Amino acid sequence: MSSLTISGRHPLSPFGITPKVVILVLILGIGTIPPLLFLIFASVHSFNPDGSFAEMTLAHFHEIFTSRAFFTSLFNSVVYSFGSALLALAIGAAQAWLAERTDAPFRQWLYVTAIISLGIPYVLYIVAWLLFLGKAGSVNQLLAFLFGGTGPYINVNSLGGMIFIEGMLWSPLAFLLLSSVFRNADAAFEEAATMCGASLPATLRHVTFGMAQPALFALALLVFIKASESFEVPALVGLPGGTRVVTTTVYQRLTLDMPPSVGSASALGVLLLVVMAVLLHFYGRLSAQAHRFRTVTGKGFRPRVIRLGRWRYPVTVLIALIPIVVVIIPLVTIIWAALLPFYQPFSIDGLSRLRLTNFIQVLTSPSARGAVFNSLVLGAATATLVTALGAVAGWCVARRVTGGRLIDALAALPLVFPAIVLGLAYLQILVHGVALYGTLLSLILVSAVAYIPYGLRYAQLGVIQIHPELEEAAGIAGAGYPSTFVRVVLPLLVPALISCWLFVFLLAVRAMALVLLLAGPESQVVAVSLFDLWNNGPIGEVAALGFVWTVIMTFFSVAFFVLARRYQLPIG
Amino acid sequence: MLRVDDLTKTYMLGDRSVAGGVRHVSFDVAAGEFYTLLGPSGCGKTTTLRAIAGLEEPSEGRIDIDGRVVFNSATGAFVAANQRNIGMVFQSYAVWPHMTVFDNVAFPLRMSRSRRYGESDIRAKVEHTLETMGLAAFASRSAAQLSGGQQQRLSLARALVAEPRLLLLDEPLSNLDALLREQMRSELRRLQQDIGVTAIYVTHDQAEALALSDRVAVMRDGAIVQVGTPKQVYYTPADEFVATFIGRSNLLHGRIDRDVAPNTQAIVQSAIGPVICTFADSAPAAHPVLAMIRPEHLVLAPADAAPGAARGPNHFSGRIANVAFLGETTEYTVRVAETEIIVRMPAGELVGGADVTVLLPPDRTLGVSNPAAAKI
Repeated sequence: MSSLTISGRHPLSPFGITPKVVILVLILGIGTIPPLLFLIFASVHSFNPDGSFAEMTLAHFHEIFTSRAFFTSLFNSVVYSFGSALLALAIGAAQAWLAERTDAPFRQWLYVTAIISLGIPYVLYIVAWLLFLGKAGSVNQLLAFLFGGTGPYINVNSLGGMIFIEGMLWSPLAFLLLSSVFRNADAAFEEAATMCGASLPATLRHVTFGMAQPALFALALLVFIKASESFEVPALVGLPGGTRVVTTTVYQRLTLDMPPSVGSASALGVLLLVVMAVLLHFYGRLSAQAHRFRTVTGKGFRPRVIRLGRWRYPVTVLIALIPIVVVIIPLVTIIWAALLPFYQPFSIDGLSRLRLTNFIQVLTSPSARGAVFNSLVLGAATATLVTALGAVAGWCVARRVTGGRLIDALAALPLVFPAIVLGLAYLQILVHGVALYGTLLSLILVSAVAYIPYGLRYAQLGVIQIHPELEEAAGIAGAGYPSTFVRVVLPLLVPALISCWLFVFLLAVRAMALVLLLAGPESQVVAVSLFDLWNNGPIGEVAALGFVWTVIMTFFSVAFFVLARRYQLPIG
Repeated sequence: MLRVDDLTKTYMLGDRSVAGGVRHVSFDVAAGEFYTLLGPSGCGKTTTLRAIAGLEEPSEGRIDIDGRVVFNSATGAFVAANQRNIGMVFQSYAVWPHMTVFDNVAFPLRMSRSRRYGESDIRAKVEHTLETMGLAAFASRSAAQLSGGQQQRLSLARALVAEPRLLLLDEPLSNLDALLREQMRSELRRLQQDIGVTAIYVTHDQAEALALSDRVAVMRDGAIVQVGTPKQVYYTPADEFVATFIGRSNLLHGRIDRDVAPNTQAIVQSAIGPVICTFADSAPAAHPVLAMIRPEHLVLAPADAAPGAARGPNHFSGRIANVAFLGETTEYTVRVAETEIIVRMPAGELVGGADVTVLLPPDRTLGVSNPAAAKI
C-alpha cells in the first residue's frame, strides 16, 4: 500500500515506531509545545515586580471578561476581519475569473501585479497607503481642492481604512489561489450548462461560481483568520486612530501600558488561540469539500475562454485599475516619499525638491545595511530549516508512517498562534530560560517554528504526487531507506522544495509581528526597522529603505511564481 | 433532420500554421437515426460534433437542424448553443458536483426559454426521467456521490429531460470499464429507439460504432472517408484505412492487368500469387490495387486433406507460424510465401508448424483501387 517496506534495519513500516520518527517528534515537540505551555501558564499566574511568576490566579481572565474595552476590540476584530475577507475575495475572484476564463486584454498584467506585491513588506505597503490616504495625503488634498474647506475628508485611521488596506494586502494572494481553482475547472461543466439552454450570466451564476463556492468560502474564511490574527495593519493604521482589535490589545498590554501586564496579554493570547483553533477546524473541513468538487474531471479536458465581445472595453478599464490600485499607487507614493527630504503630497513644485539623499543615506548607513543583511540571513536560514524538516515530516505524513498523525498535529500547532502571540510566548521562554534573547539565532528558530506548517504541507503535497511504487521499486532493487529517500524521493521533490523554500523565505522576511517583540539591537531586520523608523524617524528613510528592499524581494517572488506555475503547485 | 454542408473549421496554432479541424465535411442525418462519427483521435469528429452543438463556430459551411439554419457562413447566421434545443452528453459526463441529482436534471427545464415550466411540471418530468434511467432512488443525493455508471446515466437523463429533437454524444462510454460499457451500449440503443430521438454519436471505438449505429461515417484527417451501414463499412471498406481501422483485415498489395468494372471479379497479381477478387467499384489498370479479406472469411485445411485442392483458384499452400487460442475463436498466423495471413476459425486440430492450404473465397475477397500507394 502506501507504506515503504524495505528489508533493512529500520524499515519505516506502519507496524512500529522507529527512532527516526521519535527524533522528529521530539524536534517538533520542543519547538511547538513550550510556547503553548508558557502562554497558558503565564495567563493563569500573577507576576512579581521582577517579572517572575507569583501565585496562580484567574484574575486576568476575569478582568478581560468584565472590561468593555475587550468587547469593543473583539467587535472591531470581527468587523475588520470580515470586511477584509469580503474585499480581498471580491477583488481576487474577479481577477481570477478574468485572467483564467476570458479573453480580456492585458490579463497577464494581473499576474505581474500579484507577483510584485508579494515582495513588498507589509509595513511598507501600509505606510504607502497611509501617506496616500492620510490627513496630508494626496486624496484628502484633492478632495479639499474639489469641495473646499480644510478638514480631512477621509480618515484613514479608522475601521474602514484598516479594512481597505488589509483587503488590498490580501487580494493578490486571493487572486493567485483562486486562479488555480478556475484554471482547473473542466470547461465541459460550463458547456453542459450552455447546452441545457443557460445564458452566460446563468452559467456563471449556477455553474462557474456555484462550483467554486466551497473554494470561495474556504478562501474567505482563510483571509478572515489571517486578518483576525494580523498585527501590522491594526498597529499602524488602527492604533493611531484609537481603533483597537484583539491583537493590538495584546501588544498594548505588553508594551504601551504602564505597568505592562504579561499575564493579561497572555490570557488574551490564550483566548485568541481557542478562537483560531475553532476557525481553522472549519477551514479544514471547508477546503476538503472544495477539493472534493475538483476531482471530477474527464479525459477530454480542455480549457475554455469566454469571449467578452462588447464587454471588452469596460473590462479593460477594470484590468488597468487593479494594478494601479494594488501596486502602482503604493509604489509611486513610496518612490515619491523616498525622493523628498520632507514628505508632501504629489505636486508639480514638489518635483524640484526631489533628491537621492535618502537613498544615499540608507545605502551608506551601517544600521540599514545590517538590517538588510540580517533579514537575508533570517529568511535564508528559516527557509532552509523549514524545508529540510518539512521534507522529512511531509513524507512521514503523506506515507502514513506510524506516528505520522502525531507529526502532523505537532507541525500544524503553530498555525493557531497569531504571530504576535507566538512572539509573546517565545518572549517568555527566552526571557525566563534560554540565553538567546535578542540574538538573530532566536529569530531564526522562532520563525522556523512559525512556518513549519507550510513546509510540511508543501512537502506532503509533493510526496503525494510521487507514486509509492517508485519507492517500493527502489526497495526491491536493494536500496535501504536512507538511499531511497535521498536518491528517489528527494530528486522528485526538488521543485516542491524549492517553491517551499522561496515561499517561506518571502513570508519570513515580509512579516513584522512575529519578530517585533524578539528583535534586539544586534538583530535588527528590515521589517522591524521600517516599523521603528516610521514611528520615530523621517518618512523619506522608511520609503528609501523599503523601496530598495522591495526591489531585492521582487527577484525572489518572481522565481517563486515561475516555479510554482511550472510544477502546478498551489500557492500558499 | 440534420444537414451539415461543406463544414470547415481550422485551428491556427501560435506560429500561424493550421492544425486539426475539419475540411469540407457534408452529411445528412434522417429523423430518428443513430448516426456515428467514427475515427482515430484528431480526425475531426469531436470538432464536427461541437460545431453542430454550437460550442465551436466553424470557419465555413452551413448547418441546418430540423429545418432551421443554425449556422451559415455565407449569411453570417449563428444560433448560440443555448438556443439550439439540443441534448448533449459529454465524455467527462460534466454532471455538476455541487448540485443534487434532481437539480442536475431539472436544470434544462429551469433554463428553458421555449417553454415556461411550473415547479410541479418540473418535479413530474424530472421524476419520470430519473425513473426511466433507474436513478429515482438517488434524486436527493449529491451528484458527486454517484459512481461512474450512475453519473453517465444522470448525464443522459439531463440531456433528454427537455425532450430535444437531437441528441449529441461525445464518447460517452469511454470512461466506463469494459463490462459496464457493454451494458450501457445496449441500454443506450434501446433508449434511443424508444424515444425516437435523433442521435449523433462520436467514438473512436469501432465495436461501439458497429453495435449502435444505423449509419457510420468514418473520418480521417478532418474528412469523411466513407459513410454506410455498419455492414457496409465492415464488409466493403472503401480503402485501406477503413479496412484496417474497422476490424482486422489481411491486405495484399498488387496490380491488375485491365480496367475493372464495378461489381465484377478480376485477378489481382499479389505477393502470394494471383488472387481472384470481387470489385465493388471500378478500378483503372494504371493504379495499384489492394486485395482485402477478413480473418474469419478464410478457410484453412490440412495440406494432406485434399492433395489436389491446392491447385484450385485462390488456394495457397502455407505453414502455420503461430496459434493463439482466443476462446470463441482461434487465431492462426499462416505464412504463405513471405506473407503472413491471419485466419480466425473455431478451435480445431491444427497446430503450429503444420502444412496447410488457405482458401480466399473470391466473393469474400474485396478488390479496391489504391491510388495512394502509387505515390509512395
